[in-house]
Amino acid sequence: MLRQIKPRNARSKRALEKRAPKAVENPKTALFLRGTSCSQITQDALADLYALRQTHAKRFQKKNPVHPFEDASSLAFFSEKNDCSLLLFGSSNKKRPHTITFVRTFDYKILDMLEFCLDGETFRSISQFKTEKVPVGTRPLMVFAGTAFESPVPNAFTMAKSMLLDFFRGETSDKIDVEGLRYCVLVTADEPTSAETAADDPASKPVLRLRVYNIRTKRSGQRLPRVELEEHGPRMDFRLGRMQEPDEAMLKEAMRKAKTTEERTKKNISTDIMGDKIGRIHMGKLDLSELQTRKMKGLKRERDQRDGDEEEETVVWEEQPKQKRKVKA
Amino acid sequence: MAATTEKPAKLPVTVDKPTPYTFDLGLLLANDPNPVSVPRTHDTATLEAHLTSVARDGAQVLINQLLTTCPISSTPQGVLLSLPPQQTPLPREKPVPTPKPETKWEAFAKRRGIKPKTREQRRNLQYNEATGEWERRWGYKGANKAGQDEPIIEVDAKKEAERQEGTSVRGDKRREIRERVKRNERRMRKNLRNAEGRK
Repeated sequence: MLRQIKPRNARSKRALEKRAPKAVENPKTALFLRGTSCSQITQDALADLYALRQTHAKRFQKKNPVHPFEDASSLAFFSEKNDCSLLLFGSSNKKRPHTITFVRTFDYKILDMLEFCLDGETFRSISQFKTEKVPVGTRPLMVFAGTAFESPVPNAFTMAKSMLLDFFRGETSDKIDVEGLRYCVLVTADEPTSAETAADDPASKPVLRLRVYNIRTKRSGQRLPRVELEEHGPRMDFRLGRMQEPDEAMLKEAMRKAKTTEERTKKNISTDIMGDKIGRIHMGKLDLSELQTRKMKGLKRERDQRDGDEEEETVVWEEQPKQKRKVKA
Repeated sequence: MAATTEKPAKLPVTVDKPTPYTFDLGLLLANDPNPVSVPRTHDTATLEAHLTSVARDGAQVLINQLLTTCPISSTPQGVLLSLPPQQTPLPREKPVPTPKPETKWEAFAKRRGIKPKTREQRRNLQYNEATGEWERRWGYKGANKAGQDEPIIEVDAKKEAERQEGTSVRGDKRREIRERVKRNERRMRKNLRNAEGRK
């Protein structure tokens, strides 16, 4: 926390409310920034990712002397200042050329970090593809292919998947226009061969490939259309570098869901095939001695006997409400 | 069918893979758990062709799934697909908001079933039966200040004896109000302290 601010006017109050925690969250804003040394290739890559992420993105132009894996405090500071929870930090040096570090924050503190080392030779930017560009703010279809993403144990690839999902999901809505299904993001992970997994050298790790395609649908003569793709760019091949896994307690807090979002299922109520509502209720034990049977003249008691009974009964009835009143007071 | 023989062959829209895809339609996501067998060449064209085919299959299956399982509604804005809620857990950006802690008064009011005052009850106007006029309840010419500026005030001898040094009957009411305000502020601070302690 920078400081506790008490809004002095309506405008600043609105601004504070905008950044306050919400039950249903706004889309994450991504912040693009660069280190003191950042190759042209990395800058181009960041610019392309920025273009894909538009409307929920901010970009810094100046250099920042930051080393995320040594001291990430200034990244947390940027996150708080700009209300961004997804940071993409580009840097390049001899040991780690063309590196983009994905950083996610939770409550303006660093949640996790992962290095994506871009292959400079195979990188192609969006402008190198002469295809129609998708409009700003369109949600992509996402395809993740490869066995590495399915790992039940969290590893670099599942983290990369989670981060890329967070990056590309955009504004989540429950409705989408069919016309809006315009482009598709493919992320593949190569199969790790046995020799490669043994070595710890990043150059021998399996490659993560990111491709973006335009979707064109054709009439197939059937109800469903035939999908054809055309590369839209950028084309990026990554090797995953260093990673910082999320703190267990922090991740648990970050994965919590607000209670109001989902309706609780009511117990013992079901609907059958006809759409009739069926409820199962629990009855107390049936006391047959108090059962009201049919009244008949012949079953009435004798007059003198009943008089006595009636008096007793009236006494009982008078007493009961009195007791109740006592309990209430 | 006769139609197929006349037209060019139907384009295939189904995809067969050894392991079936899994979907998260709320995120427009398809997972292809099949291994990606990248051709062992340095020729980028074959590699790209392979990747495009993987992507095409994925996109095709995803679009098939979207169009068959999601309810479609046609509106003047366009054809809309209703997506199910997302299933893949992704971390939040900020913690789940905590409800504001109750103040001591709120807890008491809830226990006693005291409802907050209505708009009408909060209105700073009341009808004075005696004069037959509408007057303010507080503030400028407020009814709570009535009788303070009278030139002659009756003095209670008993209270006068217990009176603090340096005060007089004049401004007694005002003093009382100030004290109440101060007491309320103290309570407010206490509530705030308690709320911070409970976090």
